[in-house]
Amino acid sequence: MRDLSFDELRTAALAEATFCAAVREVAHRTIGERPYDVQLLGTLAMLAGHVVEMGTGEGKTLSGALAAAGFALRGQGVHAMSVNDYLARRDAEWMEPFYTALGLTVGWVSETSTPEERRAAYAKDVTYAAVSEIGFDLLRDRMRTDPAELVQPVPQVALVDEADSVLVDEARVPLVLAGAADPGAAVPEMAALVRRLSRGYHYEIDDEGRAVHLTAKGTDTVEKALSISLYDHAATVTEVNLALHAHALLTRDVDYIVRDGRVHLINASRGRVAQLQRWPDGLQAAVEAKEKLSPSETGEILDSITIQGLLTRYPTIAGMTGTAVAVGDNLREFYDLKVAVIPPNKPCVRIDEPDRVYATTIDKEIALVEEIAAQHATGRPILIGTLDVAESEELDAHLRERGLAPVVLNAKNDAEEASIIAQAGERGAITVSTQMAGRGTDIRLGPDGVAELGGLLVIGTGRHTSSRLDNQLRGRSGRQGDPGASVFYVSGDDQLLTAYAPDEALPTPGRDRQIRDRQADYLIGHAQRVAEGVNVEIHRNTWRYTRVLEQQRRQILEHRDKILYGEAGAEALAEARPERYAELVAASSEAEIAEAARQIVLFHLDQCWTEHLGFLGDLREGIHLRALGRLNPIDEFNREAIPAYRKLLQEIESRSTASFAAYDPDQPLSEQGMKRPTATWTYLVSDNPFGSDWDRILKRVSSAIKGTRRRKG
Amino acid sequence: MLTALTRAFRTPDLRKKLLFTLGIIALFRLGSVLPTPGVNAENVRTALEQAQAGELGNIYGMVQLFSGGALLKLSVFALGIMPYITASIILQLLTVVIPRLEALKKEGQAGTAKITQYTRYLTIGLAVLQSTAFVALARSGQLFQNSAELPVLLNDDIFTVVTMVITMTAGTAVIMWLGELITDRGVGNGMSILIFTQIIAVFPSELMNIFRSRGWFTFAIVLIVGVFMVAAVVFVEQAQRRIPVQYAKRMVGRRMYGGTSTYIPLKVNHAGIIPVIFASSLLYLPQLVVTLFANSTTPNVVVEWIAQNLATGDTPIYMATFFLLIVFFTYFYVSITFNPVEVSDNMKKYGGFIPGIRPGRPTAEYLNYVLTRLTAPGSLYLGVISMVPIFALALAGASQNFPFGGTSILIMVGVGLDTVKQIESQLQQRNYEGFLR
Repeated sequence: MRDLSFDELRTAALAEATFCAAVREVAHRTIGERPYDVQLLGTLAMLAGHVVEMGTGEGKTLSGALAAAGFALRGQGVHAMSVNDYLARRDAEWMEPFYTALGLTVGWVSETSTPEERRAAYAKDVTYAAVSEIGFDLLRDRMRTDPAELVQPVPQVALVDEADSVLVDEARVPLVLAGAADPGAAVPEMAALVRRLSRGYHYEIDDEGRAVHLTAKGTDTVEKALSISLYDHAATVTEVNLALHAHALLTRDVDYIVRDGRVHLINASRGRVAQLQRWPDGLQAAVEAKEKLSPSETGEILDSITIQGLLTRYPTIAGMTGTAVAVGDNLREFYDLKVAVIPPNKPCVRIDEPDRVYATTIDKEIALVEEIAAQHATGRPILIGTLDVAESEELDAHLRERGLAPVVLNAKNDAEEASIIAQAGERGAITVSTQMAGRGTDIRLGPDGVAELGGLLVIGTGRHTSSRLDNQLRGRSGRQGDPGASVFYVSGDDQLLTAYAPDEALPTPGRDRQIRDRQADYLIGHAQRVAEGVNVEIHRNTWRYTRVLEQQRRQILEHRDKILYGEAGAEALAEARPERYAELVAASSEAEIAEAARQIVLFHLDQCWTEHLGFLGDLREGIHLRALGRLNPIDEFNREAIPAYRKLLQEIESRSTASFAAYDPDQPLSEQGMKRPTATWTYLVSDNPFGSDWDRILKRVSSAIKGTRRRKG
Repeated sequence: MLTALTRAFRTPDLRKKLLFTLGIIALFRLGSVLPTPGVNAENVRTALEQAQAGELGNIYGMVQLFSGGALLKLSVFALGIMPYITASIILQLLTVVIPRLEALKKEGQAGTAKITQYTRYLTIGLAVLQSTAFVALARSGQLFQNSAELPVLLNDDIFTVVTMVITMTAGTAVIMWLGELITDRGVGNGMSILIFTQIIAVFPSELMNIFRSRGWFTFAIVLIVGVFMVAAVVFVEQAQRRIPVQYAKRMVGRRMYGGTSTYIPLKVNHAGIIPVIFASSLLYLPQLVVTLFANSTTPNVVVEWIAQNLATGDTPIYMATFFLLIVFFTYFYVSITFNPVEVSDNMKKYGGFIPGIRPGRPTAEYLNYVLTRLTAPGSLYLGVISMVPIFALALAGASQNFPFGGTSILIMVGVGLDTVKQIESQLQQRNYEGFLR
């Protein structure tokens, strides 16, 4: 823009104005929505490659569709990424007439789409899909052995809906493609064994509830039951640990649900069932053994990509969300994106009340149910956001005891989401929901005087680990200048406080058991900031450790493309084993041998990459120990990863030539077992849990000081 | 290492980073020799030469070493990076005492950024204090004992003095910025690189001193010994005992690589340089006592004894005390920085174990056993390295800051190794020789 002359600027401005006028008219005629000025402002900011912040109910979907049309009219293919399949399909179908009128084509992809449907959808000008589907399609494409099977075209524009959730929250965990290798080696004996152990005596769980370990007593019991010396048998230790993890840390209806005789994971950040997702490395089998289900196939990690690795493939990224400013620093650090704030069309008049803080969960629940009953008596619609599935069911039970009839929306009935949400703004509605209702769905107030009652009341049963998630929940109410209110109920037992501010104590409550003290507000804010800091650190670590991996993957894929599209495989093998090559060509045809060579090299390349990934995973897990020798873990990781990569290349070559030497043209390639990929998530460990030398000294000094204080006090 | 450097220079963006770092170092050195306005540079040089030749030469030498010769020259960067280091240490200590700071620290990067900002303010505060004290010394002629006849300042009115204080404070702020620039856009840790530069800076003049006073033969021997010492220190600094650790959380699939890459590296010199600094600081006390009581009319037996045995470095008692103190502080420092119980708890938490050893207390005991035995040679090594300058003083007449010994060689090698490792790591991320093509 800076270098443009006045005339050029005027032309550009005119072009933008013409575009805006045209799409506004087309949108009005086709889908009956005439975008407001602020929506057009958002469109222009997205066309400039920014992440826009627009409040809930401001019409992000339409704004995004206009931007997608703008990109597509420039001749760039657009991948409109949403957070889930439901929204992808809804938006695509809703906006279809608009795109058609502009001469553009639109498609959508969902989890159940067939490869043909996917290929057709990606061939459209604008493709709506959940970001994970796009990632998994890319991962599957990277494993194809025939160019005709590829589904995705070259990436051009990524338009990300709920950008903070996708780009920041989900970027902490890589997308992993796992292939079913063997039937699962379930260990029902281990599940039965750990069922006999009791918490606190045989095993202990850490404060954050993320790790479990045997005590000395527990080890004795296990050793006696198995009659071995446990820590000489790494494989057995693994089985015991997995069984214990499944037994003690994963709770039915919080972390997973059992439906149709199968274990389904619940995606914690959305409270939905995560289809096609599995726990890695045998944990799935351990959970199945715990629930006494028959084991499903065991997965081996074939390939992985971070959201960041996925998104940075796109030359242009734009996004929209209701809460972008809070993650502005992250977006700049990790994606080089800027945030544009779009003012609301009508000012928001929602009343955000201060938190109501209680000392214990019980006090909180009593007050919560009282408040719901009192508000419901006036006929005001209420939406209650809970933190997990179990909590939503518990609250449902409490409310039913009071003779209320709430509607519950959680991972177990997400199919009814649209109809439940459509009625949530009606007079007298009580809706209990997990975080899933927090995004992308719009609650309209009922027509019969709901606005006069004060509009929708949003109640949170606890503050989330990020203020953004709180604001998303509040944002369900007060759309387009509607009246509304929001309030959060917090207790000292909430996980946010116990996990992230464990050393601090809340002030003592007053007579009504409520805590009214600014210290409490500070403490909640502090715990939230700690949680946010931890999450950013996890994101940063994920990225630092995957950078090398993704670079190596890119190079391997370059080789792979040469083999897949060209004759690089045949040429390499002909060079390595000229006599064998001549012999085989003489026995059949050149084309056949070239194809066989391609399949052989591709097989070993994919196989070796899988093993390489496994090695890097192991390396990553223990690399933080290097910090104890004053070594920088990330540098150490790179130092080990790079020689391993060199070895990987040699290994592909030697295995391919060996297979080629032994190749029998009359037999099908038996080594090349069909790999049916399924998707899963992985867990992470932090980088240097010990802290620096200084941290350790200070920790000891401070604990000594606190110890003396405590003794005095 | 040299090949790594040449390869680094062939990689465009790394070359840019290296040249950037070298440019900053050059600027840093320029500021260290550039006299503050108002200083009589001629008189300072003469006074400095006399002072170093005088009886308290050792102390002046020490000061020279740690300020890269800047402080006593009253240059723009006279205060060096010490104010910043002091400020960081103070703030780290304050996080223990002040709950709000501790809370900030827990809030991750946003909180740490705030603490860094406080550190910068405190640095400026310390710089104002130090430069004021220092300029006041210079003004009253107490900076060098003999400077009564050689006025260090051209003019001692208040305007000149204030200008000098402002200049030196600003210089400290600039140094802080230069250090952060290196960390952000150059190679290595900025602060360490600047300390490294300060230490290296006095090498040429020190070596020249030896050459001038002892002739070429001693000079050659010193050089040979020096190279040997550097090699020995590099060797020991990299020596480590690797304790294998297994993480039993995942099912292990097929393996392409032999051996284990998950281990706890226990360094032979686990304590680094801190014990030497502690021991030296502690042995500075006797000198202080002697100076304090030297002028008293009634000679005290104890002071007398201290003056004879502990105030100078060439007595056997001083040497033995120094050595023993280093050994003691090595054990002390290792014991507070490496807590086997904490390490074993962490391993237990994440499902790790040492093959054949139970997690928890048995693991902690094992780690403690290995570490204690490893620290023995480590502490002896630190002691010997630190004695080198003292021996050199006795044998070759070199000054206390003999370049190839004690703290300077440890800092030098430490920073050098870290920086080279970082360059290598960045290099490896960029240079992938295509084997498959």
